[in-house]
Amino acid sequence: MSSRLVGSVAVALALVVAACGKGGAEESGGGAGTSADTVKTGPGATADTITLGYLPDLSGVFAPNGKSQMEGANLYWDAKNKAGGICGRQIEVKVQDTGYDPQKAVAAYQQLSGDVIGLGLVLGSSIVSALLPSVESDGMFLNFAGWTSDILPAENVAIAGTTYDIEAINAVDFLMSEKGVKAGDTIGHLYFEGDYGENALKGSKFAAGKHDLKIVEQKITPADQDMTGQVSAFKKAGVKAILFSAAPPQAASLAGVAASQKLDVPIVANGPGWTPQLLKTPAAKALEANYYVVSSMAPLSVQSEGVQKFLTDYKAANPKGTPSSNGSLYAYAGAQIADAALTKACENKDLTRKGVLDALHSLNALDTGGTVAGTLDFTDPSRPPGKLVYLAKVSADAPGGLKALGEPSEAADAQGYEFK
Amino acid sequence: MSRALVTAAVFVVLAALPIWLESFWLQTALFAMAAMIAAIGLSLLIGIAGQLSLAHAFFVAIGAYGYAYLAGEGVAPLLALLGAVLLAGLAGAAFSPIAGRVRGIYLGLASLGLVFLGQHILQNATGITGGYEGVAVEPFSLFGFSFSNTDPDTLVILGVPYGRLERLWYLGVVLVALAVWYGRNLVRSRPGRALATLRDSEVAAAVMGVDVVRYKAAAFTVSSMYAGLGGVLMALAFGRIVPESFGFVLSVDFLVMVVIGGAGSVGGAAAGALFVTALPLVLNHYSGSLPLLAEPGTGGVGASEFSRFIYGAAIVAVLLFARDGLAGLARRARKERVA
Repeated sequence: MSSRLVGSVAVALALVVAACGKGGAEESGGGAGTSADTVKTGPGATADTITLGYLPDLSGVFAPNGKSQMEGANLYWDAKNKAGGICGRQIEVKVQDTGYDPQKAVAAYQQLSGDVIGLGLVLGSSIVSALLPSVESDGMFLNFAGWTSDILPAENVAIAGTTYDIEAINAVDFLMSEKGVKAGDTIGHLYFEGDYGENALKGSKFAAGKHDLKIVEQKITPADQDMTGQVSAFKKAGVKAILFSAAPPQAASLAGVAASQKLDVPIVANGPGWTPQLLKTPAAKALEANYYVVSSMAPLSVQSEGVQKFLTDYKAANPKGTPSSNGSLYAYAGAQIADAALTKACENKDLTRKGVLDALHSLNALDTGGTVAGTLDFTDPSRPPGKLVYLAKVSADAPGGLKALGEPSEAADAQGYEFK
Repeated sequence: MSRALVTAAVFVVLAALPIWLESFWLQTALFAMAAMIAAIGLSLLIGIAGQLSLAHAFFVAIGAYGYAYLAGEGVAPLLALLGAVLLAGLAGAAFSPIAGRVRGIYLGLASLGLVFLGQHILQNATGITGGYEGVAVEPFSLFGFSFSNTDPDTLVILGVPYGRLERLWYLGVVLVALAVWYGRNLVRSRPGRALATLRDSEVAAAVMGVDVVRYKAAAFTVSSMYAGLGGVLMALAFGRIVPESFGFVLSVDFLVMVVIGGAGSVGGAAAGALFVTALPLVLNHYSGSLPLLAEPGTGGVGASEFSRFIYGAAIVAVLLFARDGLAGLARRARKERVA
């Protein structure tokens, strides 16, 4: 009886295996499938579709930003598909929520990875760190929704513009040339523990060393919401300006508390330190007086062709939505980068993952129409693709709450900066 | 006899599963197995020894980072695994004087501090932990066979290429089996009964000749070693570990696993771990085909939000109707069948 049972189990198993073993499914797609138009394809590309994976945070701490990003991405790809797609193929976007949890992200990646040609957007550097080994072995490109130079050099990762450290160097340059900060002065830097804040700090320290400035550091975590202690420390140190590399809740507290303690100095923030919602907080007045943003993502008031097209399309698609530079505009720009790489790969008749990666690294002067400052050069994986930044001042009348100050620029100091 | 046969059949099925499980399922299963091992440890601590701990994520992190560090320094993977488990045990033993002094909710709060201490260390001891960038985890290997995509570079069994996930599956199954076996034996052994007495009444236990302080410390140490082993498997399943994975939320998740599974039951803890770990991942996987759930990125209630609702509902249901969790339900079902 018992041996018969074992025997029948074995036979059943053998049958099941023969019937529905997963086989080398991933390999079969990866071969040199050549279709009628002789474009080589691999995973994520067929004769009529190209599939991109998106891994935003839709349920975790950055969920509002993630939802905004998907608005921007859908906006771009819907329009692209209406216009005929890329290479005669429609673009399909496969979205998986990461919840800003590396474990969920790794599982979600495993689910997507067989079907996509590359990742159109991944939010969070801890998530990118966790995914990177798999992404590298699968050889696909990854649009990183973050601007830290710690990720460099990375063959597979595309950054939209320049990095936080370069932004901070430009911020110091702005303070010295426009806001009367002189050699020997003290400036404060309020920053988040982790990749974003610490990367910006590297830049401000570099610039401070160049100009004999003293940096007073205040490190916080995203859980810290009240900046009273930090403002007191800055006031005691007699800072002439404050660099800010944290999130909007801290910005509201910082500007508000500084105003009430009569610390009337300019505050220059990295891109993620701004959201238009800040203008609805009680700190709006203080922000309008002293708050500046330096970022490679365009303030929405920029009168460039790309940004204006984005704004009109966005208003048409989401009449009630609020466009933001780091959310919908970033994802829109990321889609522009992916589009350029895919189009180039199509010209090279090679829509495999490697073909797309090679095409990305052959782009040396990608013009996004102003959504990202300057032109982007992806040929050197050890440097960020952009050099220029936008400087903007808070203004309640401007779209997105930011008024651009002049054209995109680059501080002279940034040229001598070594990454790593 | 028939029991042995069932066990054998289960193992045959488990051994065959990677042949047709897609990589998503293997990855999910590996995370679930890692959680199972750690949850068994916490279940023993809470259910048998009666000590509430919110520090479990901290000990899991020690196991994960301990393995990554040791294996990265060139220690043989098997020794690195044992070393990481010992390290977690040592950390548990070091904390046990506190565990011996405070009870119940106070111990929960005291242990909670460890999680935040751990996060601070993971973020700032960059030489060992890599800070926010995390560290790469060396693949496990045994007698020259590597649980990764290389060495042997191609391994094809019944037409299925065996990569990292397929190979790790077997390691996971063996480790979970060991954890269950050891846990069951511990509960039924003399020390296990001593711990249960301790939980019910320390005075009675002391009168019976149980060394209260020593047993309490031992329970905390063993539970931490379980957490450490779970951490090692988790690190291997990730391939690269970052501090965010070992935060307060993970500790709470472990608590939920134990409550849903039924505190004190080894099998229950494993079932609870499977439920809590796999539910959000699986719901996410099917969010496209489930009628009520919105596709990610389109607004509305998505899979992640929905799985949180199920979580909450499951905990409330367990607390109201089945205080002894899934394990208790299974026990009652079995009794009814016999009667």
